[in-house]
Formats: sequence, structure tokens, C-alpha cells
Amino acid sequence: MANSLRLYLTCIRNTLEAAMCLQNFPCQEVERHNKPEVELKTSPELLLNPVTICRSEAEKCLIETSINSLRISLKVKQSDELENILTKKFLRFLSMRAEAFQVLRRKPVQGYDISFLITNYHCEDMQKQKLIDFIVQFMEDIDKEISELKLSVNTRGRLVATEFLKQFI
Amino acid sequence: MACFEHASPALKEILLRLYRGERAIDADHHLHEFGSVDYYIQSLVSDPDHTYLSISTPILSQAFLISTRLSRYTIEKVKAISAEVVEIVEPPKEGYQLTLRLNFARMPRGKESIKTITDIAAVQGVILSSQLEEMLMNVNSQDVAQGMYKPIKLVYHPREPFYIIKQPQKITAVFPMRFKEKTDVIIATTFFQELMDVANSKACAKAPHCIWSPIPPPELRGEAIEDLSTNGGFVSFDITSRHIEGKRLDKTVWNLLNFYAFVKNHVKSTRGFIQRRMRTCLKSLVEVLKKTGLQDDQQIKEVKGYKRKKLVNFTKFMILSYRSDFTSKLKRIRSRLKIHGFSRFRRKWLTFPNFSSKTKYRKMEKDISLQHN
Repeated sequence: MANSLRLYLTCIRNTLEAAMCLQNFPCQEVERHNKPEVELKTSPELLLNPVTICRSEAEKCLIETSINSLRISLKVKQSDELENILTKKFLRFLSMRAEAFQVLRRKPVQGYDISFLITNYHCEDMQKQKLIDFIVQFMEDIDKEISELKLSVNTRGRLVATEFLKQFI
Repeated sequence: MACFEHASPALKEILLRLYRGERAIDADHHLHEFGSVDYYIQSLVSDPDHTYLSISTPILSQAFLISTRLSRYTIEKVKAISAEVVEIVEPPKEGYQLTLRLNFARMPRGKESIKTITDIAAVQGVILSSQLEEMLMNVNSQDVAQGMYKPIKLVYHPREPFYIIKQPQKITAVFPMRFKEKTDVIIATTFFQELMDVANSKACAKAPHCIWSPIPPPELRGEAIEDLSTNGGFVSFDITSRHIEGKRLDKTVWNLLNFYAFVKNHVKSTRGFIQRRMRTCLKSLVEVLKKTGLQDDQQIKEVKGYKRKKLVNFTKFMILSYRSDFTSKLKRIRSRLKIHGFSRFRRKWLTFPNFSSKTKYRKMEKDISLQHN
């Protein structure tokens, strides 16, 4: 793993560890309702300051925290058109299957490629440390998968091109 | 041309069925392929030896051919499929460019028959190829005036035209590439860049020189704007005389005619490959998430799921026989021996007398019975 990526991921991990102190908190507006405050933003006193961690302009992470929920939004690096299309396809594919992940948001926050929403219920069901591990591994895997996909598409293209041109010889 | 095989699979199937049929039957088959190729197969009971195959295919280039009829070279190529079996009917059936009379009685026996029928089913490919071959064979012809390289537009599919430009010592084939989706454009563009790199490498030095450009090449200046508006750019191949020598001519022609199909097939298979990779990655990520909260539950499940292991395996027969032996032994042990007068002897001599205790409780009934005695 590149050194800059390790630092970026460590920073995100530490921020998540600090931010993931969620508790059950009923809605202050509607009786007998319990909603993620980070989504509704009805009471400013229940929200913490959002944190943006940037590796570069094209690769950043936004962590928004409230008393009972946490929203993590990721922007994945896209250096060229092929990476752009692969990232979009891949993240759309994952978002369409958000029910498999429980913590994945169907629609990303504007300006980002993918978003997670973690509530206090998730923290009760899952182990906090492992949930953070999952987010960090998700980021690592996405980066790795897109790089590998790009490489594979290029390699396939080269092989097919060679086969096509060989027929003329 | 959306099929890599020369022979049309549907036509081959029909011809094989007619050939293998023991009895002559009346058959009329109309086939439409790739939106622009029509076949008409006719077989009559009154003429059991012959089957008629008519074909209508778009002319590759209206500019190149004077009339809608096929050229002499094409006719010769069709005749060469099988001189004994195939006979060209003049004039062809109305609405078709070519009608063939197939004499199955003269068909060679065994595997040769299948090969011949496959060749006949590839007649449309032969017609198209021969038209392009005719153009390519004139690479070195002197009738091309220097400085006047008018492109010839070849349309074998309405949406996929390409251009042939005759130049001194070479012919350039230019393919305007169009795709429906942006993803396809990007995958195809990556492929074209690789194609250009490979064509310029030492390994493929003998292959035609290939250029991809997002803008139309200068040779196509003056062509209609709708033909030059593309989203995938222009791919050009420089065909020299060495690419059309002998048997290479057939291959070169077939590769050029199939280039669109080849690119589309590559794009489609690459999309499938990406989808498969994404599915695998999804599974691995879901596995990671599952591990986040199930550790304690797994331990509980392990305890709940404990099963006593069988130490020895017995067959049903062994269990039954063992059980019957055991019960018979028990019966033997429990069964009483009857000795005449023994019960009276036991009552008299083997019973213990009742001793009364001062400290323990005694039942009143027994005391009463003793008093009576």
C-alpha cells in the first residue's frame, strides 16, 4: 500500500473511532419517532461539525456526525475516462444492492460517489471496531478493484488486438 | 455481417434437413438475416432431384457496380463452391439477385456432403467477399490517377458503412465507429489505442498499419456530414499488396468485413467480464460485513449445535439379533423352576421371623393379626 494511502486511511480510521459514539435518541419534533438526525438535521444541537479528509481534490471523505447517526461519504479517484466509467459502474452496482450491506446508502451525498449511514442500532448489532474495519477495507478494496479492472480491460484489449492483427499475417 | 462464421447457421440447417430427408416434400422457406439479407429455399415433389436457393443481399457499393446484377468475378466465385452440385439459374427469381439450383443427387457421400452444404450456406459471404476482393485486387492498378483518391463507400449494413480509398501502392480502409452507450465508446476507444500500439510494435510489423483518430482522416474530406459524425472516432487500416497475396486475400477481406462485429463482440464480452468481477467483489465485501456482528452468535450456535457422536456403527440386522439374544437371556434368568412342595418348605424354613422393636413404629394391623394367631 502506498504511504500516502496508508496515512489517509489511518486518518479516516481515527476520525471514525472518535465519531462513532452513538446513542439512542428519539426525535425531538415527532413523538414516538426515532430518526437519524444526521439526515434530518432538525436540531442543530444534536449535530457535530462535519469533517472532510482529503487525499487530493479528486479523492476525499466526508464524515458527518450526530447524536444517533453517522454519515460517511466517499469520493473515489478517477484519473481518466476508463477509471471514471469503471468507478461509476461499480459504485452504482453496489448502491443498487445496498440491502446486502445494511449500512450503505442507496443514493450518495451530492459531490460524492458513495455514502454510508450508520445508526446507533447498527452499532448495537455490530461491533464498532469491526464496522470501522469494514469501512476502511471497503475503501481499500474499491481502489484495488478499480485499478485491477482497468489493467484487465487494457490487457484484454491488447490480446484481442494481437489476435485480430495476427490474422492478416 | 454480424456473424464470424462464413456459413449461415439457419440456411445450413434447412439444407441439411432437405438433403437428409428420405422422401421429397414441398418446402418453401423464407429467411431474413441481419436485416438486409433474404434467402428463399424451394423444394418441389414434382422435381425431387433439385432444390432452389435464391438470395438477395445488399450490393456493397453502388458506385462500384454498374447494375444491380452480380459481377462476373462474383459469379465465378459462386460457381467454384461446387461445380457438380451448384448451378446458377438465369434469370434469377424475381426480387433476388441470384438463384442456385442444387442437385443433391450429385452430392458427394459422407463428410464431404456436410462440407459442401456448409460452403453453399456461406454463399452470402462469398458474394460480399468477392466484391471487396475485386476492389482490393486492383491495388497496383495504374488507372488510379495520382492525387485523385476518391473514397468508395461500402454499405453492407445500413448503420455500419465503411470507406475504401485507393492510393498508390496501398488501399486504406476507414471505419467510422458509432456506439449507442458511453461505456461502449470508452471500452472501444481503449481497444483502438491498444490496436494502434500492437500494429506499430515489432511483433506485428507485417500486419496492416493501423491508425485511430477521433477526427475524420483527410482522405474523407467532402463526404456527407452525417457519415462523418461519430462518437467512437475513425479506425484506418493500410492494406498493401502483401496482404492480398494468394490465400491471404480471403482472410483480409473477411477481417475487414467483420471488423465492426469483432469490435462489438469485444465490447460486449468486456462488459460481461466487468460485471462478473463486480459480482465477485460484492460477495467478498458482504462477507467482511457479516463478520462484524456475528462473532458471539457463532459461539452460541456452536454450543447449541452440539451432537453426540456415534462411537460404533451397527447395522440394523446386528442390532435386531443382539436385542433378541438379550431378551431371551433375560427370560431365562427370570423364569421360575417349579419343584413340587418347595413353596411349603420355603414358607416353613426359609422365612425370617418378625421381631418387634420397642423403638420403631409398628403397624396396628400386623399386631392385631398376631394377637389373633
